[in-house]
Amino acid sequence: MQAPLARSLALAALACAAIVAARPVLADDLADIKKKGEIAIGVKAEYKPFGFRDASGQLMGFEIDIANGIAKALGVKAKFEPVQDATRLPYITQGRVDLVIATMNTTPERERTVGMIQPFYYASGASVVAPKSAHLKTWEDLRGKKVCATQGANWNKPIEEKFDPTIVAFRGMAEAQTALQNGECIAFLYGNTSIAGMLSDPTHWADYEAPLPTLNEGPWAMAVKLEEKDRPLGKAITALIAGWHKDGWFLELEKKWHLPASPWLAAEHEKFKNK
Amino acid sequence: MEAFFRHLYETTGYNFSIFYDRRDELNFVHGLGVSLELMAISLVGSLAIGIIGAWLGGMSSQLVRGSVRVYVQALRNTPPLIQLYFFFFALGSVLSVIGPNGRPMPLLSNFTWACIGLSAVAGAFNIEIFRAGIESVPRNIRDAATALGLGRTKAFFLVILPLAFRLCLPALNNNLVNLLKSTTMAYAIGVPEVLYVSAQIWSDEFNATEMMLVVLVVYAGITTALIGVMQYVERRLKVPGYGA
Amino acid sequence: MKLPAVLQVDRAVGLGSLAGLFVRPSSRSLLCMGLLCSVLLAGAATAQTNAAKAPSVLATLIKWTPLMAEGFALNLMISFSAMLLGTVSGIGLGLATISLRRPVRRISWITTQFFRNSPWLALLFFCVYALPHQATLFGASFIIPDWTKAVLGLALPIMANVAEIVRGTVQAVPTIQWQSATALGFSRWLTLRLVILPQCIKPAIPPWMNWYAILTMATPLASIVGVAEALQVTTEALVSEARFELLIPMYLYLLTWFFIYCYPIALLTERLERKFGVIT
Repeated sequence: MQAPLARSLALAALACAAIVAARPVLADDLADIKKKGEIAIGVKAEYKPFGFRDASGQLMGFEIDIANGIAKALGVKAKFEPVQDATRLPYITQGRVDLVIATMNTTPERERTVGMIQPFYYASGASVVAPKSAHLKTWEDLRGKKVCATQGANWNKPIEEKFDPTIVAFRGMAEAQTALQNGECIAFLYGNTSIAGMLSDPTHWADYEAPLPTLNEGPWAMAVKLEEKDRPLGKAITALIAGWHKDGWFLELEKKWHLPASPWLAAEHEKFKNK
Repeated sequence: MEAFFRHLYETTGYNFSIFYDRRDELNFVHGLGVSLELMAISLVGSLAIGIIGAWLGGMSSQLVRGSVRVYVQALRNTPPLIQLYFFFFALGSVLSVIGPNGRPMPLLSNFTWACIGLSAVAGAFNIEIFRAGIESVPRNIRDAATALGLGRTKAFFLVILPLAFRLCLPALNNNLVNLLKSTTMAYAIGVPEVLYVSAQIWSDEFNATEMMLVVLVVYAGITTALIGVMQYVERRLKVPGYGA
Repeated sequence: MKLPAVLQVDRAVGLGSLAGLFVRPSSRSLLCMGLLCSVLLAGAATAQTNAAKAPSVLATLIKWTPLMAEGFALNLMISFSAMLLGTVSGIGLGLATISLRRPVRRISWITTQFFRNSPWLALLFFCVYALPHQATLFGASFIIPDWTKAVLGLALPIMANVAEIVRGTVQAVPTIQWQSATALGFSRWLTLRLVILPQCIKPAIPPWMNWYAILTMATPLASIVGVAEALQVTTEALVSEARFELLIPMYLYLLTWFFIYCYPIALLTERLERKFGVIT
């Protein structure tokens, strides 16, 4: 009976060795990253204009630019890992990536799981897309006018209470967009990020714009491992973000990717400019 | 009553906000009004289409008869919701005028399209129902009308139609109840009827189950009322010698 | 044999057998299909305004056909599942409405009337919102997908209407059959199973097929609660193409698909009605 026992022990040992060998080498602080020469960053790959692929498969977008900026500032190469909403936190906690920049709102539960870097780098909220010929200047221009929206969006009620448009809510984005194109309504109320995605496609939406500033904004944060937040990596990224708010690089990126003007971003710029 | 529902919410968590919240209540009542308006207009519209279609279906012209048949078969064998989308999104994009700001403005509102769509489908069913009723009017009555010198139109509207109407009342009753239920489809094109308004309320107040119950009870009430009215009409218009 | 009003096919074509003035079904159906196809092609032809730059309407329709076909397959799957579920539960509910026990009769009758008179869309919403996202069965948790909830939501009115059909056909069987069976010593359940229900199948088929057609034409409602079936695919395709001239042809195209599926069912139903002699 010794032989089978010895054999299974040997197999177990081999398996453990295999697992240990197959685990990716975790770069768990700034020094490791610099030694390796590359930083693994989790980004979205299917969300225009924040992280998406062009016709040749090359990753590009608002967040890709920021990620490349961070890598350059740290003096390393950026290695991109595509993530989804469901995988962006696990990738950090499992160590598959060092940093995640993936359109993530802050919530208390998330703050307990990963290190959310402050200051935040962007904010999402409600905006409108309207034809250029409508000449909308302020939210007050919507008073009494028909505005298309989607059923159940959480910004419908606040906007309706504040500016009193006639909201015509449809089942989904597609129906609301078709209604907008047919002239059923003067504007389409939706999330500023999705609107930016729409407008980044000039072939179909060339005659439309997002003229109004975003409302009801909720900030986005980059994430590192919980313990890294106060270590050199987290501190470095914090300093970088603060610097970019100060010199207005984020505002330039916003214009570059045709995002609706974010009052939050402008306010952050003012805040850091005076520091 | 307000106090009762507020208390109910606080103790059990069942949130019937339309009973104690002024804004929700107003919205719900408004939605109910739109639903009832939609039902009334489509009811009348579908009956009109049914009568006209049944009359046209008996004309001598092959083209007219064929067109009616195409209309009926097309609308009965295609999904009403897709028809509504077709009317509102597709036809609506074509039927537009240039508005004051130089942009196209749709000619008909989504409420109008909903009425048109709902009447059209129910009307198609009604054409079949009325035609079946007309066919079951005995031959001798038709001959008697001709013998009395009544022209085709007069015979149709004065003699045959009233009789046919009485004969097909049960099937008509069924169809009208279905029409009432189908008005919820207008939700899909943004008409603020009772289901739409309830959806708005439950997305703000998170009381989906309660609002659904209210909607179902409201519709149960309306259909019961209609069935009651139709059964009264059936009783009053009963033709001796026909029916159970 | 006089059938109660509940068996009146909603389309009232049962009385059509008395008409005798129709054009024969084969040529009538050809006329209808021909007219519809020509409308579709006319729409496609007149809509080729920018044919030089953009691909033609016909080419775009063909391009989106595979995706639309997937969505349509989902519609059909929903219709099959809901019909199966509704029929099985409806037979049970229908038998409960003729139960000898009063409370069972009462409750099943109320249930039947409730689900018959409720709007289908409202029932769909109810199922999608009231049912949980995931369920645990034997320790394993799995997510209940939206289309399953849609199937449940559509099965409810079918259950009620099948119950009505069952009740109607059973009540239409002459009482003497029951009496003879009792005289021969059959229990109530045996009577139902061996004598009554076999006689109910034939008259039940036309209204049952009619409800299947109505159900199939109600499956696009599932798009309102988020199921990615044919209507949603078509609407999203139209948005991604964003060409006005595509709106009419594409929706007509989708309507034609449903027509090609449902019209033969309607013709078959008519023929079966004439054969089984459903006359009121």
